[in-house]
Amino acid sequence: MAASLERWHAVQQFLFHEARLQDERRWDDWLALYREDATYWVPYAWGQESPTDHVSLFYEDVTLLRMRIDRLQNDLSPLEWPPARTNHHLSNITLEDDAGDTLTAKANLLFVEYRRDEQRMFSAHVTWNLIADGDGFAIASKRVDLLNSDQESGHLRIAMPI
Amino acid sequence: MSAELSHLVEHGRVHRRFYTDPAIFDAEMDNIFGRVWLWLGHESQLKNTGDYFTARMGRDRVIVARHNDGEIHAFHNRCTHRGAEVCPHRAGNADRFECPYHAWTFRTDGSLESVPLRKGYDDGFDERVKDLALEPVARIASYRGFIFGSHAADGDDLETYLGPDVRAAFDNFVDRAPDGTVTMAGGTTVQRYRGNWKLQIENSIDLLHPLILHHSAVDAADRVDHGGREPSIEWDTVKANGLSFNEWDQLRVAALPRGHCWMGGFLTKSIDEDAEAAAAAEAAMDPDGWRALQAQYRDIMVEKHGEERTDEILSFNRHNTIVYPNLFVNARLAQIRILQPTAADSTEQHGYIFHLGGAPDRMFEASVRMVNANNSPSSIVTSDDHEVFERIQNALTGGASEWLDWTRGIDQETDLDGAASGVGTNEVAMRNQHRAWADYMAGA
Repeated sequence: MAASLERWHAVQQFLFHEARLQDERRWDDWLALYREDATYWVPYAWGQESPTDHVSLFYEDVTLLRMRIDRLQNDLSPLEWPPARTNHHLSNITLEDDAGDTLTAKANLLFVEYRRDEQRMFSAHVTWNLIADGDGFAIASKRVDLLNSDQESGHLRIAMPI
Repeated sequence: MSAELSHLVEHGRVHRRFYTDPAIFDAEMDNIFGRVWLWLGHESQLKNTGDYFTARMGRDRVIVARHNDGEIHAFHNRCTHRGAEVCPHRAGNADRFECPYHAWTFRTDGSLESVPLRKGYDDGFDERVKDLALEPVARIASYRGFIFGSHAADGDDLETYLGPDVRAAFDNFVDRAPDGTVTMAGGTTVQRYRGNWKLQIENSIDLLHPLILHHSAVDAADRVDHGGREPSIEWDTVKANGLSFNEWDQLRVAALPRGHCWMGGFLTKSIDEDAEAAAAAEAAMDPDGWRALQAQYRDIMVEKHGEERTDEILSFNRHNTIVYPNLFVNARLAQIRILQPTAADSTEQHGYIFHLGGAPDRMFEASVRMVNANNSPSSIVTSDDHEVFERIQNALTGGASEWLDWTRGIDQETDLDGAASGVGTNEVAMRNQHRAWADYMAGA
């Protein structure tokens, strides 16, 4: 069943809002979009089924995410001299399994990051499990499948949640 | 050339070309990586006939396979006809390796099985077939299931090369499995940085830097409100970097022959020390927590080995044991890391974890979580290290001042059974690495 235009628009605006908060480095506001029991997962293997029997690029609960963003906002953190500039480009947003109070959203993401003398790009499939919360939404879980998650030569460090 | 290169290292200082010069990198690949025993993988990857995995040996890419003679063979992943890689996969099972270019096929011991249009070759071809096998790795050997290869036909055997202190780390690694078997599992993390490989082996035994370089991670850990719940194993990992200088100095660092070294363990909430009391207290706190799991694991070990032997195994409290030039063994975390240098200013660090046979299943999850926290490209700890390595690499390319200082603790080393030892922040282990480097470069 196709989602109503209003519903689709509302979810899309929410996801754009999350991306904007990341790009503007408003990390406390960003984390406030997540439920206290939320998980943020970037699998290492393509099509990875479990975060507990295989390594991941990120597998973090809100406590670990809070440590991560605490550090991103610490002026003395070596990683953030100078801070990265980023753009999250979201497209192909679809709604799945919309049960009214819970729903799943999917999108394609192009994440561009510039820092010091290098710009790099990641492309990913992103899946959010959302809770409809009054007029808005809260994130119950987010999964980011990078096209090059298991790139053979590895990745240079990735400091911020994608 | 080699004798000249060894002069880039002196007792207490090294020349900046040591980290930056591409010609030196090439010489290292020949004189060090071309001669030592390099870790390739683990026998648990080769359970069945035809099982194989690919690995690196310095600049070379090799295949390690179990042939139908039951033996493990290692050979270059390079067709002897036109040089293409015959195997594009990281691991699998195969009857033979067939080159996609002209269909030369090779058996899983590397020998040449067939070529198409055989009649196009001269009569002497049959005699050359044995020389057209995939180029074998000169020597392979295993210690406690860990497979090593060497490009040098002669030299120390593997056990001699590792020496008693490094062998003890592998022994303890396997002994921690209640049923005495370990199995590589759960994938590999690969962190890349734009810096020289030696920066990482120095850093991993450098106990002066954590409190300084990682302080923003430790600060973030300090600000966490656990809400009365048991801290996560990832939190422990980050927090452990916040020991005081005095505490770091209470750990011992040992510098061993051939450039190897080890450091004492430092992770907080150590189950190794006063394990029973700590475990009981914490188990009462969270029956599903990591400490309760450790207590459960210890019970299994005691049932298998008795109290005394269990204490002996679990009290082996070391963090990294570093096998020069590129291997890190961590028995407590069931983790192996290896550096794969790709250029003077480019290095990959690969992290592997192991399942301990007979241990509770969630012990493996703990290892997964530890490697995520420490050795994923997103690690909030090692990212700091890699950032600083890149700053070093950028800065060392110029300047009239050519030497870097490595004199901390130089007059405070103590002897330790044919090796040297020092307090945690003594740079004795790095000087020992530099000495091994100079010896290898001089052809010793």
